[in-house]
Amino acid sequence: MGYIEFHGVTKRYVNGYEALRDVSVEFAAGSMTFLTGHSGAGKSTFLRLLLRMEEATRGQILVNGVNITQLKSSRLPYYRRHVGAVFQDHHLLAGRSVFDNVATPLRVIGMPEKDIGRRVRAALTRVGLLEKERLLPLHLSTGEQQRVGIARAVVNRPNILLADEPTGNLDPDLSRNIMSLFEQFNQIGTTVIVASHDRELIQGTGKRIIELAAGRVVTDSGDGKVAEVSLPPSTMPHPGVQEVAGGQR
Amino acid sequence: MARGNEDPFPVAQERGGPVGWARDHLRVMREAWHYVSERFSSSLLVWLLVGIALALPAGLYLLEKNLEDMSAAWDGRPGLSVYLNLDVESGVAEQLASRLRSEAGVATVVTTLPEEALEEFQTHTGLGDALDMLPGNPLPASIRVTLEGGATPADLDRVAASVAGEPDIHEVVLEKTWLARVRDISEVVSRLSLVLAILFGVGAVLVTASSVRLAVEARLEELRVQKLVGATNAQIRRPFLYFGAIYGAGGALVALMLISTTLLVIEAPLVSLFSSYGSELELIGFDPFFLLAVLLTGTVLGVCGAVISAGQRAFELEIH
Repeated sequence: MGYIEFHGVTKRYVNGYEALRDVSVEFAAGSMTFLTGHSGAGKSTFLRLLLRMEEATRGQILVNGVNITQLKSSRLPYYRRHVGAVFQDHHLLAGRSVFDNVATPLRVIGMPEKDIGRRVRAALTRVGLLEKERLLPLHLSTGEQQRVGIARAVVNRPNILLADEPTGNLDPDLSRNIMSLFEQFNQIGTTVIVASHDRELIQGTGKRIIELAAGRVVTDSGDGKVAEVSLPPSTMPHPGVQEVAGGQR
Repeated sequence: MARGNEDPFPVAQERGGPVGWARDHLRVMREAWHYVSERFSSSLLVWLLVGIALALPAGLYLLEKNLEDMSAAWDGRPGLSVYLNLDVESGVAEQLASRLRSEAGVATVVTTLPEEALEEFQTHTGLGDALDMLPGNPLPASIRVTLEGGATPADLDRVAASVAGEPDIHEVVLEKTWLARVRDISEVVSRLSLVLAILFGVGAVLVTASSVRLAVEARLEELRVQKLVGATNAQIRRPFLYFGAIYGAGGALVALMLISTTLLVIEAPLVSLFSSYGSELELIGFDPFFLLAVLLTGTVLGVCGAVISAGQRAFELEIH
C-alpha cells in the first residue's frame, strides 16, 4: 500500500488558472520524495489532489491501483484513513489538549480508549512531546505545534504521509529535526511526500526531488533526468514552459 | 494497478464493527451532553423556546381529549329536565313522572320537589340566608329524565314531545343543546390544535435547527480536521443529532412542566365549576402515554432540526 501514480493530471480553477498541467509521475510504495518549486508552482495543489481535498480537472490519480478521482464520496473517508497529512499551519484544535488532537484520527475509526492512549503516547514519544500531552496547542511553540501535527498524521499508521511546507515557519535546526522525523517514518515503510520550497533543506538528503514550476514537472531526480528549462520568475503559468519528457512515465 | 480484487480501502473493516460503532455513539453522546451543559444558559433558552412551542399544542390535545370524554359521557346518557310551574301540586309531578317512565327508551326519572330543590340550592350555593329573606320558595318542582345509552336526539325529541303542551309544565330543557355545543367546541379545539401543532412543531424544528447551526459553526475547524482524517458524513453529523435530541427532549420536559403548572393553576376553579354541575373533576389524558408521546415528539422534532442544519453542512466541510 502506498503506490501512487499521476497520469496526465490537470487542475484548472474556475477562473481559468491552471495549478497543475498534465502531470504524470509515479511514487513507489515506501519511497520518500520532496516536491519543490517556487510558491504557486503547484506543490500544494498536488498534495490536495492526492488527499482529494480538490478534484482533478483531467487525468487519473491512482493509489494502489484505485483511481481516487473516481472514488465515491461515501468511500473517500476510508481512503483518507490511510493518508496522514501535515500542514504548515498545523490545523490543530485550539480548545483540545495535545493528547486529544493526536487522538482524533483514532477516535474516528472507533478505537477503544485504552488502545488510543497507548497509540497516542507512542506517537507523542516519537515526536518528543509526551510530557506535554495535557497542554493546549496555544501553550506550545510553533515547532512543537508542528510536531503535534505530525504525531496526529502518523498515529493511525498511514500508508502515505503528505506534508505541505511542514518547516515553513521553523528555524533551520527545527526544520532538520522535522525532516528527520519524516525520514524515520519513511524507514518503517510509509510513502512520504513532502512539499517544500526550502532547497537547502532537501538537498543532500539523498531522496528523490521533483521540481514543479507553473504546474508542470521540470526536474525529477528520481529518473536521473534534469530539465533544462528556462522558467519565468513569475509563478503564473507561462506558455513557454516546456514539459519534461523524462518526468512522464 | 489494482492488487487483484482486494479493496485497498475497505469500508467494513475500518468501521470497527458494531462495538466500535456503539462506542463511538456513547462517546459522542457524552461529548454532546458535555457541550450542552457547558453552555447551560443558552441551552436553557433553547429548551424554553422548544418547550413553549410544544406546550400549546400538547395542552390543546389534552383539552380536546377531555372535551371528547365529556361529550362521550353525555352521549351515553342523554336526557332532559322538565320544570313545572311554581304552584303545581306534588301529585302532578308524580303523575308526569309516571308518564315519562312509561315512554320507550327512558332509563331513569327522578323527581325533585320544590323543598328538595331549595335544600340542594342552599347546600351548594351557601345562599341560605338570602333565601330565608324571600317570602316563599322560588324554586319549582322538576323532573330529570335520563334516556338509555345509545339514544338519539330524535328519541330525546319524542320523549320531550310526550309531555310538551301540558299546562302544568313551565319549561322542558333538552341536554342535546349542551351536547351539540360541547361537540362543536371539541371540533374547534381539535382543528385548532392540529394547525397549532403543525405551526409550533415547525417552530420547534427551526429553533433546534438554528441552535444546532450555531454549534456547527462553533466547531467548524474541528469538523474539518475530522473530515481530513477520515470521518464519514454520518460521523460528522452524529454529535449534532445528539444536540438536536437533547434540545428536543429538554424542550419536551419543559413543555410537560408548563402543562403541569397550568393544570395546577386552573385546578381550583375547575373543581368548583365541575362541582356546580354535580360532577367531579376527572382529568384524562395526562398519563404515562401522554408524557412519553410528548418526550418522543420533542426528541424527534429536535433531531429533525439537527438533520436539516447539520446534514447539508457535513457535505460542504473541507479544509481550504
